[in-house]
Amino acid sequence: MQLNPSEISDLIKKKIESFDISVEAHTEGTVVSVTDGIVRVHGLSEAMQGEMLEFPGGSYGMALNLERDSVGVVMLGAYQHITEGDTVKCTGRILEVPVGEALLGRVVDALGNPIDGKGSIETEHSSPIEKIAPGVIARQSVDQPVQIGLKSIDSMIPVGRGQRELIIGDRQTGKTAIAVDAIINQKGTGIKCIYVAIGQKRSSIANVVRKLEEHGAMEHTIIVSASASESAALQFIAPYTGCAMGEYFRDIGEDALIIYDDLTKQAWAYRQISLLLRRPPGREAYPGDVFYIHSRLLERAARINAAEVEKLTDGKVKGKTGSLTALPIIETQGGDVSAFVPTNVISITDGQIFLETDLFNAGIRPAVNAGLSVSRVGGAAQTKIIKKLGGGIRLDLAQYRELAAFAQFASDLDESTRKQIERGQRVTELMKQDQYSPMSVAEMAVSLYAANEGFLDDLEVEKVRDFESALQAYMKSEHADLLAKINETGDYNADIEKGIRSAIEDFIKNNTW
Amino acid sequence: MTELSTLARPYAQAAFKRAKEVGAAGVWSDSLAFLAQVMQDKALQAVVDNPRVEKERLLQLMLDISKGYIHDEAENFLKILIENDRLNLIPQISVLYEQYKAEDEGYINVDLYSAYPITKDEQKKFVTSLEKLLSKKVNATVKVDKTLIGGIVAKAGDKVIDSSISGQLHQLEKRL
Repeated sequence: MQLNPSEISDLIKKKIESFDISVEAHTEGTVVSVTDGIVRVHGLSEAMQGEMLEFPGGSYGMALNLERDSVGVVMLGAYQHITEGDTVKCTGRILEVPVGEALLGRVVDALGNPIDGKGSIETEHSSPIEKIAPGVIARQSVDQPVQIGLKSIDSMIPVGRGQRELIIGDRQTGKTAIAVDAIINQKGTGIKCIYVAIGQKRSSIANVVRKLEEHGAMEHTIIVSASASESAALQFIAPYTGCAMGEYFRDIGEDALIIYDDLTKQAWAYRQISLLLRRPPGREAYPGDVFYIHSRLLERAARINAAEVEKLTDGKVKGKTGSLTALPIIETQGGDVSAFVPTNVISITDGQIFLETDLFNAGIRPAVNAGLSVSRVGGAAQTKIIKKLGGGIRLDLAQYRELAAFAQFASDLDESTRKQIERGQRVTELMKQDQYSPMSVAEMAVSLYAANEGFLDDLEVEKVRDFESALQAYMKSEHADLLAKINETGDYNADIEKGIRSAIEDFIKNNTW
Repeated sequence: MTELSTLARPYAQAAFKRAKEVGAAGVWSDSLAFLAQVMQDKALQAVVDNPRVEKERLLQLMLDISKGYIHDEAENFLKILIENDRLNLIPQISVLYEQYKAEDEGYINVDLYSAYPITKDEQKKFVTSLEKLLSKKVNATVKVDKTLIGGIVAKAGDKVIDSSISGQLHQLEKRL
């Protein structure tokens, strides 16, 4: 249905009539210099830190350096048309972005503007990007799991709702792959996901969007994109934008998961801005507060208690806790985790998942180094069944690592050592998982049970994965009710154990294994 | 880069404090204004910027130019500025001095931009309402700016009060 021309002008006329004409009072300043996206403005004595300033031509900038007689402004967006002598106005608003459910399923830029061509975003809520993290009293300890869907992670390095778990590794080791699998696995759990892409190729971001759409994961995901060709200012604020969007869900008693891919590039962007603002450079030329940009971002990922949720929603939501789980990603150079930014972020997060190039090249994907990876929340964030079965896995792998050097002389060793090595090899093989195939709790439980109870010990190592996929298919077709029961409660009792054992024994009997 | 205002501030503050001590605020104001005018001259700028001109010669030159137009203490002030190589700051010093003087005497300089010339009565009305708003005596200078189309824009330092038609059109443009 189309509006005819007179209707359109009528609409506009109505808007003009109802237009509230108010006398505007604001503070102004003058542009003194424009260099590389940084503008020096003379005047503006009342500018606030982080305030949005309006430039001619509709451009906006953020006031970052407040000096005695001038303000250092970093431009958000195009700045080529700005010249010396232009007038700059204060808006009185600290930088804020739209937040709310309307953003789910959309791809936005670092300022919240949609870039997926699906129209504008209608939301009444907006939130400043810089907020103070919840206080100590407002928090609750983490005891609910976030199922990543990857066996090696959920069994040995579990992530809880409200935890910060760092994914750290060299380039091309599968960091983004873990993140994408985590998002896909949140379908139907009620956890909203936010993927913040900082400084990445647009083709990579487009790939991620496509894969999420293919697996039906876009409807519970927001994608914030500050790609490599965008200004350093936008790359710097993108994580805070994503965090503000995640906090919206946290503060109304829901759970959210946010992935920052990756914070190394945000640190680079901040270094660029700081050097151009003539702030003194420190170690590795980073400014003095590079720790603070990450710590204040990650502190906002927390679990808040029901009383706090009730306060924040003015009593509308009672009895529900809210959480924001963060999975920051850091890229190391040459496996050097003792460099400046990696050590900073490791000390901030509640654990890390180490990905190694050697493991990746040896075919172990996800390339998780189980020995160096840790989750400081641990078993408190695991379902009962995975906790019971995962302990055995971790032990097997730890023992295997100790004896790994002897694996070459398998025939010359005593029985128990040989058994340990063989078990370790089979468990390592079991921990491999295809991309975009996250597993549910029940499927994982079945695989782990099979490994713990020695059902894999008679197989050849190369056959373990085929065995597993056939077993999973069998369980889905013949014992779907048992799987559903495990998925529903996550409990582990004698009944369930009997159920799994008899199912696996049936499978082995009826198939040529 | 440090702003000129930041460099000029200590000099302006010193000059004002001295002026207040001896109660010669107006005399200082005139001397500084004169010197600021003098510094605008291009030929003089060339001489001041020339590093090969010795300080004594420059001082002599400045004193000769300003004889009879500035008071004695201003001559000392000139000497200090030349010694510290800060002659170029004089325009900025004058501006800051005027600000301090205005604040001290409780009045503020306001630029009124109007699209059409306004009558004395209308100007008085604006001044009274501005004085109520800013709670200071207002020293208004009226300028005509046709680009405003209609209405008034009042600028006092950094603050701007915009009730012009072009300003309202701008707001409308943003809303629509």
